[in-house]
Amino acid sequence: MCLSRFSASVTMAKVQVLNVAVLDNPSPFGNPFQFEITFECMEDLPEDLEWKIIYVGSAESEEYDQTLDSVLVGPVPAGRHMFVFQADAPNTGLIPESDAVGVTVVLITCTYRGQEFIRIGYYVNNEYTDPELRENPPIKPDYTQLQRNILASNPRVTRFHINWEGCAERMEDSENVDPASNSMLPPSCLPGKAPPLGLLPDNSMDCL
Amino acid sequence: MKLLKPSWVSHNGKPIFSVDIHPDGTKFATGGQGEDSGKVMIWNMAPVLREEDEKNENIPKMLCQMDNHLACVNCVRWSNNGLYLASGGDDKLVMVWKRAAFIGPSTVFGSSSKLANVEQWRCVTILRNHTGDVMDVAWSPHDVWLASCSVDNTIVIWNARKFPEMVTCLRGHTGLVKGLTWDPVGKYIASQADDHSLKVWRTMDWQLETNITKPFSECGGTTHVLRLSWSPDGQYLVSAHAMNNSGPTAQIVERDGWKTNMDFVGHRKAVTVVKFNPKIFKKKQKNGGSPKPSCPYCCCAVGSKDRSLSVWLTSLKRPLVVIHDLFDKSIMDISWTLTGLGILVCSMDGTVAYLDFSLDELGDPLNEEEKNTIHQNIYGKSLAITSTEAQLSTTIIENPEMLKYQQERQNAAQAGSGPGGAGLESTAPKLNSVMNGESLEDIRKNLLKKQVETRTADGRRRITPLCIAQLDTGDFSPALFNSVPILPGSSMPSQLTPQLSSDSSQGQASSLGLRPSHDTLLTSPPPSSSTKGLEDNKDGQSPTHVKQSLLLTSASKIEPMKALDSRFTERSKATPGVTAVISSTAGLTPLDSRAKDGSSILKDVKNKEETSSDSEDKMAAINKNLSFTKRKADLLMDGGEVVEKRKKGRPRKDKMATPISQPFTQVETEGPSRAAATPAPVAALKLPTPSIQKAFSLQVSMEPSVFLEVENDVSVVAGSKLSQLRCSRDGREWDTLLPSSVVTAAGSSDVIAVACEDRMLSVFSSCGRRLLPAIQLATPMSALHCSSHFVMALTAGARLSVWDVQKQTALVKNESLLTIMSGADTTVSQSLLTQQGVPVIGLSSGKSYCFNSSLETWTLIADKGDSLVQCADFRSCLPSHDAPVSSGPLAVMQGRNLNAGRLASRLSSTPHHLQQSMTLAFLENQLAAALTLLSAQEYRYWLLIYARFLVNEGSEYRLRELCKELLGPVHKSAATAWEPTTLGLRKRELLRELLPVIGQNLRFQRLFTEYQEQLELLRNK
Repeated sequence: MCLSRFSASVTMAKVQVLNVAVLDNPSPFGNPFQFEITFECMEDLPEDLEWKIIYVGSAESEEYDQTLDSVLVGPVPAGRHMFVFQADAPNTGLIPESDAVGVTVVLITCTYRGQEFIRIGYYVNNEYTDPELRENPPIKPDYTQLQRNILASNPRVTRFHINWEGCAERMEDSENVDPASNSMLPPSCLPGKAPPLGLLPDNSMDCL
Repeated sequence: MKLLKPSWVSHNGKPIFSVDIHPDGTKFATGGQGEDSGKVMIWNMAPVLREEDEKNENIPKMLCQMDNHLACVNCVRWSNNGLYLASGGDDKLVMVWKRAAFIGPSTVFGSSSKLANVEQWRCVTILRNHTGDVMDVAWSPHDVWLASCSVDNTIVIWNARKFPEMVTCLRGHTGLVKGLTWDPVGKYIASQADDHSLKVWRTMDWQLETNITKPFSECGGTTHVLRLSWSPDGQYLVSAHAMNNSGPTAQIVERDGWKTNMDFVGHRKAVTVVKFNPKIFKKKQKNGGSPKPSCPYCCCAVGSKDRSLSVWLTSLKRPLVVIHDLFDKSIMDISWTLTGLGILVCSMDGTVAYLDFSLDELGDPLNEEEKNTIHQNIYGKSLAITSTEAQLSTTIIENPEMLKYQQERQNAAQAGSGPGGAGLESTAPKLNSVMNGESLEDIRKNLLKKQVETRTADGRRRITPLCIAQLDTGDFSPALFNSVPILPGSSMPSQLTPQLSSDSSQGQASSLGLRPSHDTLLTSPPPSSSTKGLEDNKDGQSPTHVKQSLLLTSASKIEPMKALDSRFTERSKATPGVTAVISSTAGLTPLDSRAKDGSSILKDVKNKEETSSDSEDKMAAINKNLSFTKRKADLLMDGGEVVEKRKKGRPRKDKMATPISQPFTQVETEGPSRAAATPAPVAALKLPTPSIQKAFSLQVSMEPSVFLEVENDVSVVAGSKLSQLRCSRDGREWDTLLPSSVVTAAGSSDVIAVACEDRMLSVFSSCGRRLLPAIQLATPMSALHCSSHFVMALTAGARLSVWDVQKQTALVKNESLLTIMSGADTTVSQSLLTQQGVPVIGLSSGKSYCFNSSLETWTLIADKGDSLVQCADFRSCLPSHDAPVSSGPLAVMQGRNLNAGRLASRLSSTPHHLQQSMTLAFLENQLAAALTLLSAQEYRYWLLIYARFLVNEGSEYRLRELCKELLGPVHKSAATAWEPTTLGLRKRELLRELLPVIGQNLRFQRLFTEYQEQLELLRNK
């Protein structure tokens, strides 16, 4: 028995990502990213999931991160679901030239009620297909010749415990509420709950 | 006795708190601590039992692992029927697991472990009530109840037939409750707690039977678990940790008077767990020995904090065997095989031991019959099991037809749960799931094109995911993963797997994700660059300023770069500047996540240095080095900055909770009284009328295809305007002229009706013959419908008429809508005429009425705001291939997506009997409505659901009445008013359809037989 206690309410992860298939891979650099995501949901979700694809432009700095797109996914009743998340290729103008060729990372994140609960990362290798170019790459990268290869077999999945019942943020922008899918919502979450609401200890506990 | 410690049964070195062998003996479950969560694992028993199976690579050892518990799992227990596994943990939850059908082996997505889940166990229920760690769970005999106990000092009894219904909560302990055991007869449940007491509770009224404190008064409260056990003959209850003369014992409590005169002595430290062998034994008859009738005896295993295990026979004064130093830490749980010859023991040290006894050592186990005889002798007939179902299980099937349906049901159940066998053969997945006749493969091919994507009010993309399996049906689509060409996780290079365990020692930073593996084979930094990295370190800058080299032979061999690795585990932050899209997830980044990342990177670097030497020989393979500089890690230093950044994150711009306004809740605020009070309410009722158009056309029938074209004011003859009605029916046309402008027109395959400005209604046959002289209406036409040979007119004065053109009679005579249109804001939102000539009016209040011409009254057929609709839960009774009753008038009025039962799952707290009543009421409403609407197909559809529901819920009276009504009198007599048909459906045919449904519940076999025989009799007449 572990004597450590959680202060926040403990709930089980309601959404499990079962699989992500990388479609159209490898592909020319300019092709859109396509991920076919399969997930399972334990119970009906009153709110949408928000999925994002983030392209890491440079290992150098987060400044070069590009959020390629974000979509809401919903409504999500209990069950197993799938969808294809397609997002345009990164804006090459925002990638440092020195980082165009080589290895970088693309991230898929999913948040619920503003809290990220899963992060899936893939290594991406951008390479010239032409051996000539590979030997002597141009100083200014030629994106039309680059091939993008996502290392699909090796996703890095990080899961975060979040508070599935409450929301992380205050209820601003409530004018954007879609009444239809909200009709099943329990009495609204109290704004201004203690900040670490969604924070559950991620650590493994020492049981001795 | 043989002893084995299967080293492969492990939770990566983490403590194993509980072990339980499946009743069929083919597998066992362990529960304990996982990496960052609680862990339940299911293992194959065969490799434990047989060495050759252990060596056979094709026989899986681990069958499934579940990480769903958020914290340490303290107890795992199989139900007696083996269908379910219950687990309880520090996350205060009890989870009930069931084997998912049809799903083949798969891995946990993103897991680097190559160990595939051979079987899929799915959490079917989460039981929430405890406010503290759940320490022990126990299924009652026959799986009627599930009990759980917790450090919140309570014991909760759950209704195992209707999870998550709670039967009761036993309060009375004043300390942490750490063990539970059911009386094998089902009369009692016993619990042991830290409050120095052992309590026995009656199952009849859930009151305390006895409270035993004396043997525990000296006990300290430091024992992790107190797993007590009841002997299989029910005569003895043996406690965990008790004290006798300052020595730790296991106290024997006699059922007779709850006397505490005996105990098991000998352990040097507290007894954590006692477990009786499920078998009762008798002395083995020696060859030639005198067949002296010996007293049957029980066998009991005792595990202790002193790391030793003792096994006792109640016929001996001394233990049969004591095994010391079996483990490095306290024994936590014990489980016997159902054969009574094997025993699994688990320990806090994370290992498991298996002991195998022979019959010579233990004796001859009594068979079930002998055991029952003992029970009978001791408890007499009163042993009565509280469950009716349990009795049913022994009911003999008397009717061969019944047998067939029972077998079908069993087959279905087996398909649903999977055979108990752990072998791979059973999990052979069925490929190509069918979704409306489409295989999953087909769906996947076109998913991008087909999926529904919309824009929200603020312009964001919103995708509606494609539901490929319902959760509650248990009918998960088969073998998704096997059909996936790329299998993340499973197709992982095998050399990556060993890293997992070594990485796990990195503790917190890696707890949530898989740390990048430090790759023995692929990455091998050339000495130059790693030295450079060290130099960087010396510069006193961040240690993560390390240049790293990557081996990139081909695209497929990209290797982790530490510079990028942190990205995998960091939570997203507000990304300032570049990103075009709102970053919303800022709020919850742990303050120290950066720092953790930093430290783990540091470790990575160290590891890399260590591994570089032994991988130098691989350097020849390098044909390309890429160096990456780690981004400035200044953020690592300072949590405060992270906080600041976080605040910049823009709030999420999408929907949040708001007050709900349901349109239908405002109905009829003061309706009836007001209507009664107003002297001339008719004047208030004015329905909208269509405006006159110059010309219009409409299609009135699909099959045959009939088009109507109306052109007003085509010519003026003698001062009066003429209008033309043109009709095209399967290409043949006719036209006619009318003396006034046509306001509205309607038609069916049989009749065409037009209403004119001068309040005249004209009716024509399909070939253009005028069938009736023009009908003069009192007020202008509001809505006009034709269906079959019926014409319905709804006038602006809110009066309704329906005529049968064929018989030239009125079905509804100028009936006022006043009755139903009470309430100021109510308007007619929909009106229709069924094929049978029943007029239906839908109101803005969400209610729909039809006029029943035989009763001459308005009847309510649908109410969208009806709480019964939303709470009724009959999903389990829906026909398997859900061919919806798409086109019936009832479905139309209730909305195509009749979301009956939508709230049902949310109302899990609703007591079952209440929900049952609501569902029953709803289904009966549906039946009555379908009957009133004369909608035969819908009647049949709801009748089947209704019958299924009655069968499932065991409502015999209603079911019998239904059957009786459908069968009618067997012998003809002039006096009976029984109609052999309803809505054109032969009632006896309906009954014949219901019989297979009834046959599925063994309880109704008499009913089944009775009606089946009578039907046969009638058929042969």
